[in-house]
Amino acid sequence: MSKRILCKFFAHGACLKGEHCEFSHDWKDPPNNICTYYQKGVCSYGSRCRYEHVKPSWPESSASSSSTISLASRPTSSGVTTVPGVLPELSALSRPYIPPNKPAWSLESMCDDSLENGEIEELEPRNLKPADRSICSFAAAGNCPRGEKCPHIHGDMCPTCGKHCLHPFRPEETEEHMKSCEKKQKHLEALRRSQEIECSVCLDRVLSKPTAAERKFGLLSECDHPFCISCIRNWRSSSPTSGMDVNTALRACPICRKLSYFVIPSVIWYYSPEEKREIIESYKAKLRSIDCKHFNFGNGNCPFGTSCFYKHAYRDGRLEEVVLRHLGAEDGNTVIAKDIRLSDFLSNLHIR
Amino acid sequence: MQASRARLFKEYKEVQREKSADPDIQLVCDDSNIFKWTALIKGPSETPFEGGVFQLAFAVPEQYPLQPPQVRFLTKIFHPNVHFKTGEICLDILKNAWSPAWTLQSVCRAIIALMAHPEPDSPLNCDSGNLLRSGDIRGYQSMAKMYTRLAAMPKKG
Repeated sequence: MSKRILCKFFAHGACLKGEHCEFSHDWKDPPNNICTYYQKGVCSYGSRCRYEHVKPSWPESSASSSSTISLASRPTSSGVTTVPGVLPELSALSRPYIPPNKPAWSLESMCDDSLENGEIEELEPRNLKPADRSICSFAAAGNCPRGEKCPHIHGDMCPTCGKHCLHPFRPEETEEHMKSCEKKQKHLEALRRSQEIECSVCLDRVLSKPTAAERKFGLLSECDHPFCISCIRNWRSSSPTSGMDVNTALRACPICRKLSYFVIPSVIWYYSPEEKREIIESYKAKLRSIDCKHFNFGNGNCPFGTSCFYKHAYRDGRLEEVVLRHLGAEDGNTVIAKDIRLSDFLSNLHIR
Repeated sequence: MQASRARLFKEYKEVQREKSADPDIQLVCDDSNIFKWTALIKGPSETPFEGGVFQLAFAVPEQYPLQPPQVRFLTKIFHPNVHFKTGEICLDILKNAWSPAWTLQSVCRAIIALMAHPEPDSPLNCDSGNLLRSGDIRGYQSMAKMYTRLAAMPKKG
């Protein structure tokens, strides 16, 4: 049915379902480029959304685009395999009222009467445990056209997103949803608050820049002045003019001149030290999972040494062990020896 | 290039919007070139420059705001940190202490502050610097006042 819509994962070259995908893997088919959030009411990306913002022309089934698919694919995923022969039956049933030349999302298939006479109930036998029964995806997406008569369980309302998508008999799932929903909500809230913040270098609002790559903040580790990631990186990497000291001028905050050794990219701005710490930690954790290209699995030499943010691991997964060499300097202080290489001595040697 | 143009345009709009915010500074952009600006600044009160109006010329580099604008006095001024002939200004924020958070408006404010607080130890105008360093405040003030009268005030008919 939805084989006529181009799979968006496939379009990006990364569909994991391969030939089992419900969507088309044929470049000739049109992609579904309509923003479902906008159709449901609010899209937080507004005019910057990459999907098309068109109002649904069919008032009843605004939510059917995603639900049609999930309903059709459910037999394969849930425990309905106990009822053999349902699958071909369903596809045979669905054929008559889905004309193949029309995209699936424009259909009011679910308001069709033919579904009200009991096939669904056949799919989900009554004798299943309540925890094994799936909840009504229509109710979860907004409203269920069948209301009280719906054979599926209608989920409880999530207090955060306001959707009836909490399974009443699966407490872990409910908790997980609430957690991720709250996190999402917090992120959206932070994104909304960050809209107004201006970069002091380009004097633009950071989140109103033309390209997505530019719509990021560059946080400085030691102070709280906002900049675009591109502006602050440009400034820090600009060639110092005569007499300009890298540490006191370039690496300092352009506003307060506090020295920061690194810049953290972030899509949202923070309002408390905890939020900032969270952003920094998640950034560092992400970098720690990436292999350092200088270290190159032990074959290279990383100039950042022990303070490198990237992963220093050998090919066999073993992490680099750092042994610091302490040297006693002439004035009695102890210094940490940077890596000493034989080749450094040899290059200074003059052979006569 | 594009970034500097966009930023200067922002500053231009800001100047238009807050024309009356700072009565001591009048920033004007060249009609045909957004990289050329002129400013009229009033000499700060209780200094020998009081009552004078000084003209500044800004040449903004293409790398602005990563590089500072070049600023010089068009009006003759007797000040230890301003070259007497060329009008060149010796000010750290226009050289090694520049930061992209400065704007043309704030540079004008810094120059007004420099007029009120000369730094005789890094002079571009040695005569002026020597007067101050030798403690001849009166001599410095009367020289500065004379040049303010001669160059920075409307000629009395």
